[in-house]
This record gives sequence, C-alpha cells and structure tokens, in this order.
Amino acid sequence: MSGPGQPIDDVSLLLSGANTRLACGADIDALLEQAADGYAGQFTSHQRDCLYCQAALREFGRLWEPVRDLAAERVTVPAAVKIAVASQIRKLVADVWYTLQLSDGGAVRVAARVVARIAREAARDVAGVGVAFGRSTHSRMAGLVERATLRHRHPNAAVGVLGRTAVVDLAIAVEYGDQVDAVARAVQRRAVAELRSKVGLRDVTVNVTVDDVIT
Amino acid sequence: MGSEVDDAYLVRRAQEGYVDAYADLVDRHGLLAYRVALRLLGNHQDAEDVAQEALVAAWQQLPGFKADSSFSTWLYRIVTRRALNRITRRRVTESLDLLGDVSDAGDGPGQQTERNLTVDAVTDAVTALPPPQRVAIVLRHFEGLPLAEIADITGSTVPAVRSHLFRGRRTLSKTLAEWR
Repeated sequence: MSGPGQPIDDVSLLLSGANTRLACGADIDALLEQAADGYAGQFTSHQRDCLYCQAALREFGRLWEPVRDLAAERVTVPAAVKIAVASQIRKLVADVWYTLQLSDGGAVRVAARVVARIAREAARDVAGVGVAFGRSTHSRMAGLVERATLRHRHPNAAVGVLGRTAVVDLAIAVEYGDQVDAVARAVQRRAVAELRSKVGLRDVTVNVTVDDVIT
Repeated sequence: MGSEVDDAYLVRRAQEGYVDAYADLVDRHGLLAYRVALRLLGNHQDAEDVAQEALVAAWQQLPGFKADSSFSTWLYRIVTRRALNRITRRRVTESLDLLGDVSDAGDGPGQQTERNLTVDAVTDAVTALPPPQRVAIVLRHFEGLPLAEIADITGSTVPAVRSHLFRGRRTLSKTLAEWR
C-alpha cells in the first residue's frame, strides 16, 4: 500500500474484502460512506491531520463522482406511462352511462365519469375553491349490478344505464377566508348549469362536500 | 392548482372513489415510480412497464392502504417489489437471449458522447449488483432516502440495510475503479 499522503496506487486492492481499516485505523467502509454521501471534502478532526484518510477520501470521492452525476440526472416520465395507467384504471372502474334520448338519429350515451369531470372543472372555476374532485354516486351501485349480471348479460349491453337523471358528488377544499357556504352554493349552481348546457342532462343533483380548508 | 393539499388528502379522496384524486397522485409520484424502476432495471423499456404496473397495482390496493406510512413510501415498496420480480424472471430467460441486450439509446453512434458512456458504465455497474445491494444503493444514493425509510420499504431492519449498503458500495467502487 502507498504511504501517507501518497496517491493510492491500487484502489481495488484497498477495497478488497480483506481490508477493513487504513493504516491509521480508520474504517474503510465509513470513509466510503462519507465519500458516497458527498462529504469527501468535509474532514473530521482526525481526518484533518491524517494523510491516509485524506488520500482515501480523495480517491473514493473521485470514484463516486460518476455515480453522483447519474443520480443528479434529470429523469422525465414518458407520457405513455401516465396515459396507460389512466386507461387501465378506467377499465377497472365500473362505468355508468347516462343515455340521452334524441328525437331521431338514435341515442347518445355519456359516461358518468365524463359527467363527473365536467362538474369538477366547473367547480374549479369558482373563486375560493382550492381543489375539487367529482364522482358519480351511482358508480358503486353500477359495480354491484355489473357483478350480479356478469354471467347472463349480452356482451354489448351497457352497465348501469341511468337515463337523464344525474347525481354527482363534488368534494371540494375551500381557500381559507372565504365564506364556506357561499362558495359551496356557487359551486353547486355552476356545476348544475354546466351539466345542463354542456351535456343536456335535464335533472341534475350536485351534492357538494366541503372537506378541507386550504391556508 | 391541486398542489396545496397533501398526499393524505388525495389518498382519502381516491379511496372514496374520486378517480381524479388518484390521477393527481400519479402526477405527483409517477416520476418517483419511473425513476426507481429505471435505476433498478437499467433500461427505459422495463422501467416503463414496471412503473405502469406499479401505479395500477397501487390503485387496486388502495382500499387496503393504511395511513401508517406515507403514500410515497408505500409506492416505493410496490415499485421495488415489482422491479425485483422482473429481475428474477429476467435472470431465468437471460441465457436464451442470443442477440444480447439491445441498446435503448435512440441516438446514433455519432452522438454517443463520453458522458453517455460514463452513464452507461455506472448503470451497468449498478444493475450488476446483487438485488438486495442494488435496492439499498438505489434508494440511498439515487433517491437519497434515510436508512429507516429504506428498512420500512424493504421490510428489513436498519442494520441489515446498512450492511447491504456497505457491501454494495464496496462492489460498486471496485467495478468503477477497474473501469477507470
């Protein structure tokens, strides 16, 4: 092995299983940890006077530089991941449909999740709303219906067709300082209006739950 | 928008059937899932598959999620487990892979900079570590997690994690020293 303060000729040898301590008695694994954590340049009082430790830390720090570079590299999630997750979850959630009867040209079906989404977007536009989430209250029931009818249902039959009456739950968190009931009522009004005009649902019930305050 | 509420709030809403709340959790933590999978598996294709599987599995297991750990710790656990499954499965089929690993760097050879080579070398060295050491190294030195959280994620103890880290750091350092 090299002398104190000298460059270490063979790091591999130093790191081989047999060696646990430097000539000064310092624990090699502890030094390696220090270097890997990025503190190779911050000496303890022993290290300040120990050339063995300083040489080892310098060497280990250099070894770990590419590891730290890779760790610091910016990673971005491919858009495909989020899209695939969303579509798989959609398949897992039992869908309910609202059927809009048209005078001619057939029927139009709108998924309850679309209705919930529109209600959510409407709620988010109201001043004083921090976050909003929407769901169809019928989802649970539709899940039960789906399971019960799974065996004797036509493969193309829609599950949980609900007609033109929609019940939507909105969970909102309001911003601190706003009058809670006024915000909730504004959310309700706006969501109902949006669902009537954008989806064409005649009877709409929007239940608003205020479950948090954002400060 | 939506960044003011904490994960626990989103988890509760998602458990109540507000699917969009889970979409927000995916927006927040999808990167974590993908990044850990990428470091553990070493290539983008496997990382994409595992991250996707893990995020869907987390949705399915959400009703059973208790708030005794954070959502991110819980997600780390799911991703790590799935990545390990893939590593073990891959090892069985590896001997049949006559064509070898296809490089997933889309760039032509002219674009292979020295930096890319370094990145590839470190990636190879990390993915050559035995699975327990690899998990410990990735969670500690790539994700910067404290030992106690790593123990929680891996269902292990702090001393066991420390010992995997010691061995992993030695092996990795030796590989890097030889490569230099």
